[in-house]
Amino acid sequence: MKRFYFFSLLLMALVMGMGVKAAAQDMPHIYINPGHGGHDSDDRNVVVPPFASGDTAGFWESNSNLWKGFALQEVLRKKGYTTSISRLANQTSNDLALSTIVALCNQSGADVFYSIHSNATGAGENYRINFPLGLYRGPDNQPIVPESDRLALELVKVLYQNQSTVWTSNYATRGDWSFYPQWNNQGLGVLRGNNAISMLDEGSFHDYIPETYRLINHDYDWVEGFNFSIGADNFFGYSETLPQGIITGNLRDERVMRTATYVMHGADARQPINGATVRLLDLYDNELATTTTDQLQNGIYLFKYLDPGQYKVEVSEPEHFTQTKIVEVTANAVTYCNFDLKKVRNTPPEVVSYSPVWNDGDDPVLCNTPVVINFNWDMDIPSTEAAFEISPAVEGSFTWEDTNYRLVFTPTDAYDVNTHYTVTVRASAEHAGGTAMEHDFTMGFTTQERNHMAVTALFPREDVAVHYKSPIIELRTDAQVNGLNVYDNFHVYDKNGNELGYNRRQLKCGNSTSPYGFVRLPMANDFNVGEKYRLYVERWVQDMDGIHLAEEIDHEFVAVDAGEAKAEQVIYDGEQVDGITTGGSNVNAKVTAVTTHLFGSKAMQLAYEFDAEDDEPVATASFAEPLEQQFTAGDTIMLHIDGDMSCNELLACFEAVDGDGDDFDLSLGDIDYHGWRFVKCPVENRGTFRLKGFAVKHHTQGYAKNMGLTGKLILDDVLWSEGEIFESGVSETTLAGVTVQPNPSSDYIVASAAGYIRGVELYGMNGQLVARNGANYINVTGIAAGTYVFKVYVNGLVSTHKVVVVH
Amino acid sequence: MKRIFFALMVGWALVAVAQRVTVTEQSRLLPVEGPAYYPVLSHDGEQLLFTSESTQGLNLYDFGTRAVTRVSDEPGAGYGAVFGGDGSIYYVSQERRENKLIYRTGHRYDQATGRSAVVLEAQHGPMQPVAATRGGAMKSRARNYSSAKAVGTAVYTQGSEVIIDIAGRERRFSPVESWAGYLWASLSPDGQRVAFFAAEQGIIIIDLNGNVLARLGNYEMPCWYDDNYLVAQNTTDDGRQFTSSQILLLKADGTYKHELTRPTSMTMQPTAGGGKIVYTTIDGNLTLMKINIQQ
Repeated sequence: MKRFYFFSLLLMALVMGMGVKAAAQDMPHIYINPGHGGHDSDDRNVVVPPFASGDTAGFWESNSNLWKGFALQEVLRKKGYTTSISRLANQTSNDLALSTIVALCNQSGADVFYSIHSNATGAGENYRINFPLGLYRGPDNQPIVPESDRLALELVKVLYQNQSTVWTSNYATRGDWSFYPQWNNQGLGVLRGNNAISMLDEGSFHDYIPETYRLINHDYDWVEGFNFSIGADNFFGYSETLPQGIITGNLRDERVMRTATYVMHGADARQPINGATVRLLDLYDNELATTTTDQLQNGIYLFKYLDPGQYKVEVSEPEHFTQTKIVEVTANAVTYCNFDLKKVRNTPPEVVSYSPVWNDGDDPVLCNTPVVINFNWDMDIPSTEAAFEISPAVEGSFTWEDTNYRLVFTPTDAYDVNTHYTVTVRASAEHAGGTAMEHDFTMGFTTQERNHMAVTALFPREDVAVHYKSPIIELRTDAQVNGLNVYDNFHVYDKNGNELGYNRRQLKCGNSTSPYGFVRLPMANDFNVGEKYRLYVERWVQDMDGIHLAEEIDHEFVAVDAGEAKAEQVIYDGEQVDGITTGGSNVNAKVTAVTTHLFGSKAMQLAYEFDAEDDEPVATASFAEPLEQQFTAGDTIMLHIDGDMSCNELLACFEAVDGDGDDFDLSLGDIDYHGWRFVKCPVENRGTFRLKGFAVKHHTQGYAKNMGLTGKLILDDVLWSEGEIFESGVSETTLAGVTVQPNPSSDYIVASAAGYIRGVELYGMNGQLVARNGANYINVTGIAAGTYVFKVYVNGLVSTHKVVVVH
Repeated sequence: MKRIFFALMVGWALVAVAQRVTVTEQSRLLPVEGPAYYPVLSHDGEQLLFTSESTQGLNLYDFGTRAVTRVSDEPGAGYGAVFGGDGSIYYVSQERRENKLIYRTGHRYDQATGRSAVVLEAQHGPMQPVAATRGGAMKSRARNYSSAKAVGTAVYTQGSEVIIDIAGRERRFSPVESWAGYLWASLSPDGQRVAFFAAEQGIIIIDLNGNVLARLGNYEMPCWYDDNYLVAQNTTDDGRQFTSSQILLLKADGTYKHELTRPTSMTMQPTAGGGKIVYTTIDGNLTLMKINIQQ
């Protein structure tokens, strides 16, 4: 019986041996080119900790390619293939010229040529991908050497089965002429003139950092070399060329995330297990081999050349629970066995620190302050978020940091002002191991009196006319604007909904020395006259504390040509400033003729600098003699103003002629705009007047009190015309969209407009101011019954309405 | 020691500046249509072999008649083809069979009849044509072929050996270390020296006993221009594609080097014979060059 058994085995060995021999007689010759080498200029070094730039122990494409090449050569020889390899070391001298490699391959008589490489995106740090790519010579699907496309396909299909890595997309094969069109069909140097069935493999992307760490691991490279041999088997139609198989895999924590900031896809986001002991056991727990994962953030292990059958793989590491899996090894194949290890968490979770830390008597906190809670363990997200309470309730969102050791709650909008909030994490919160806290945790804080950033000025306001040329958008706020998120939140659209661009190099933002917050955005191109535009400012414009706007701004405005020719009589053309004197109170002022103009060749500029301490700063520019043109009630003064958004008030100063009336200053509105504007204003005072000059008055109260301490006012063509006359001698100029009601009224007269109303005034029919309010209404309960003129200041213009007060 | 070194440097410099090389002619070989690669000049410079980018087929150009003759249409025929000393052309074709292995066949093309004949049957593995001073040969792993019993002197490389066959007596030499292997062996016109390329070492000149006479530098594809000079290719690459390529003239004793083309010219694969130099460019433009060397 023993003899029979012996002969049976002998016969079986002979049959198997003959099979191998029959194949070995005509086995393929494979030429292996482990890429370019030498740690020099044509090599690729990806710097990852702990390796410094240039450290040859770190990642170099030449290193990993060489290890893959060694493995491939080793396995192919075991399988009976003939092999040649173009380098065995990694010095510059081993870095053969591409044409030399081709010639060596051709001389060797190789059937197949593998050039082993890894890939890189060559893009910014945020764009990282990972997939196997096989390149062959020629256009897509038309290999110069027939079957080269098939060789590439058989390889990348096998590489793609590697479960130790994370692929971001499917494998690909391409012809190098198509893949590198910029090379004008020159293609890859190692494929030019190569007579073997040949390809260049880009096995994975070495600039995808988790893959970089894997490629530093020799076992990982060995598996790729092994997979090359499978690819060769599949190409030639061989099976079981190797009677043994291998086990490999990747060890990761089941939930702890990596703390690095580089791009990570899928399971690569979880922490690899360094220094784990991996034991290979038979089914009776006898140890067959053991290995240890390295300290380089890859968690890779490998057992080579295992006879087919079942094995146990046991993984242990002090901070994780030991885990064992049973795996099946088959001949000439890779068995992938990854482990997601559960961390040992042996105490209940508790809060170890938090913010804001606030006690009675402390300063209130910002209304957008996130609540940050640090735990002693990585927490279970669902149970912890469910255990979180804040009172009074406020809408917000959770984020998790430091691999789930830190919970951050951020209010969606803002906390209420001057409010005390209480935060509780109930004891039901669990750590990732499933144990709950022993006690509730409670903290509290009180908020400040400001929870949104206020808009103090804006150009353009709704429906205002904007001079088409070199338009500027400006937002003024009660705090310094954070310039980092301006572009994402400011949008200007044309009538077709196309977003328009800004001149980004000329963007200006207030800084810590600015007396007010602002952001100024010059448009990249002129507007089209007569067309409507839309300004959309998202509410997420923030100040330096992250406090954002209360609501978005979304309205239309129209582009005009402020320099359109006018039929009225020009009484001053701004071409010369001789004789114009400056004055005022606590101001340095200067008048010059400047080339910024609408008409002629120059315009008059009044530059001024107010003393901030002065209560009523005014700058004046007075003609040597009042202009000849006489104004009477009902006439209109018109002028062209190049606004600098000083938000100061501009006044036209009139002098009575021969005692016919009293001198007066006529308000032309606040200069709360950029660019040229055509402004007209009726003269309402009874008498005969001549224009003696202009004045700029600084607001010491209200929205503009910190603005316009310096400014440059430019005026061009000042005109005169006769206006329509009320019966009382007061002209009515009603702006579209502005309504005043009720009329008649006995208590309040209220103005409404689509735009922003800065204030209203009530005048008697004799032109005397009766009442004024910075809001949009006037209480007339104390005003005598009669007919009045109601002025509404809106969007830098004045809308004048005749109203009746009754009691 | 420093004085000796200084004297050597001065002596080398004097030798170096003593040569003067001028290009007297440089022109496209216009009769050759389409991209052409791997040119091989006959010893008298009257004929030129060339092939396509894929080495499919082999063409023969005659400078006298300016005619191109199709020698072979077969795959691989254009790679490594040689002129034998007997005037025949020796080349190897290759075919991929169903088992996806490459089988190579040796051919001899008789210019007198214009016909090719198989001289070495198809076999799997390496096979290379070898020029001999009085004929040609085919060298393969399993079987060899010679055009006659006595083909004179032939030189070729296999692995990391250079083989010098004189009158049927074959001697193998490995005069310099090169793990990856030797390539591009050629016999000087006077038959006294052999130039070859050793990977990781560059171009080596040896005598017929395998003694190293000179190391010419890490250039490729050496080809004898005359008894004293060789032409060679100098390329650089970034690991994936060529970044520069030029043709050099090298003195066989290693004392002089001259750039016949600029590094940016992307010129490559030089061949020489009969006072002519022919090279191609990366996009396959064959160019004829003639030079004058003043000692």
